Amino acid sequence: MIIFDHVSFSYGARIVLADLSFSVDFSERVAILGSSGEGKTTILKLVLGLLRPDSGSIIIDGEDITDKTEDELRDVRMKFSIVFQEGALFDSLNVKENVAFCIREYQRLSENEIDSRVRELLRVVGVEEAIDLLPDELSGGMHRRVAIARALAASDPVMFLYDEPTSGLDPINADTICRLILDLSKDKRGFIIVTHKVYDAMKVAERFIFLKEGAILFDGNRDALRHSTIPQIKIFLSELQRP
Amino acid sequence: MTVKQIISDLQDYYLLAFRGLTGIFRKPFYFRDTIEQMDYAGAGSFFIIVLVALFIGMALSLQLSAEFARLGLRMYTGKAVGITIIREVGPVTAALVFTGRVGAGMASELGSMVLGHQVDSLRVFGVDPIKKLVTPRMLTSIIMLPVLTIIGDALSILGAYYIVVYVSNQSGYVYWRSIHDVLIVENVIAGSVKPFIFGFLISSISCYSGLTTRGGATGLRQATTRAVVLSIIMIIISDFMLTRILLYLLGFSV
Repeated sequence: MIIFDHVSFSYGARIVLADLSFSVDFSERVAILGSSGEGKTTILKLVLGLLRPDSGSIIIDGEDITDKTEDELRDVRMKFSIVFQEGALFDSLNVKENVAFCIREYQRLSENEIDSRVRELLRVVGVEEAIDLLPDELSGGMHRRVAIARALAASDPVMFLYDEPTSGLDPINADTICRLILDLSKDKRGFIIVTHKVYDAMKVAERFIFLKEGAILFDGNRDALRHSTIPQIKIFLSELQRP
Repeated sequence: MTVKQIISDLQDYYLLAFRGLTGIFRKPFYFRDTIEQMDYAGAGSFFIIVLVALFIGMALSLQLSAEFARLGLRMYTGKAVGITIIREVGPVTAALVFTGRVGAGMASELGSMVLGHQVDSLRVFGVDPIKKLVTPRMLTSIIMLPVLTIIGDALSILGAYYIVVYVSNQSGYVYWRSIHDVLIVENVIAGSVKPFIFGFLISSISCYSGLTTRGGATGLRQATTRAVVLSIIMIIISDFMLTRILLYLLGFSV
């Protein structure tokens, strides 16, 4: 379980999260919604210990990670697989080397074994044909799928974290990514998806947290979100009514 | 920028420089990354160094020949050129070229990796970004800058030879004799210690600037500019300090 206990965070003078408290079970399918700059990505970075809160504590699987060192955080991070916004693939490496990165780093496998493992992962996400391409030769959708394959190669996570996985994608590619996200969560592995695309969030998530000015404006299920009378949420939901 | 901020930045820089340097002796070793960096920094800078060093040597020789001819001391041109190039101009010129090409490249590449969350990805995968990104660049600079300096020195001396013999019509034998006399242990040490220090400074400053990039394209531009400007300032200041220390240690009287 992930617990945020009165967490505050700011970038310089700009307060991003103010006394935020919530908890998420590893098997939950959670969408964090909100406008740009509301601290959605910051939450994912705090979960992974990439950022440290100004105050409050973050507890992952019963362990307070707030003051852990970089070495101690390694085990915590291995519980998760994150797909960063726009994939964050290493642009000097081709698709095969990107996916093989962690395999080479941590496992002593032969070149043939690495090749077949990479192909298997690329087949799972449906981009095996892109194995020799460089990241800048990939379309937006392929980029995200390769990033998911790389995240799968990195660890066997208890939970996935997705940072704006469908932003900038056309509806067909966005739908493909959403189906992939659902496929990967079939064996009770939950996820936190951070997005401002409420249409995509509705497709995959069961619980919705809406952030506004560093605080939680709404936390509830799909029905509660649909029937919310909060004006900011209604503006977001208007995306669903578009033809 | 507040004093507290400056102290905090300096502390972060020293920590990164220390961890980057000691990373050379700690596992894991990223040989492939180091070789790639050496190819980019060393082989890639070769022709620029050759060109710059050749013309610096020729320009320096022209200036000194003209002045010594006026004083009736033309036979000292070789000696003056040799000392100036080996002890001072060669290491500083190579370092400045290295800063412009390699230091700026390091800062912009690492900055772009920070902005594209690639450095965060490394951390999530349990890979130490300092070991993976900084140490290979630091090792590369510490090895390749001295190599490029030696090549540059040789080319500068060759360029100066052309001017002395074919433009100033002096004896080639006397010139090479003067260069031979200049190549004593003290002068070689005075000139060869500097590139190691410059290489460390350029790589540590550039990597620090790159890894602390914030704020999109503007931030990347600022990080690259900061890396180049700070490196140049530190090269010039440390050159003075090293010259002072080395002259004292090697027993030269000023």
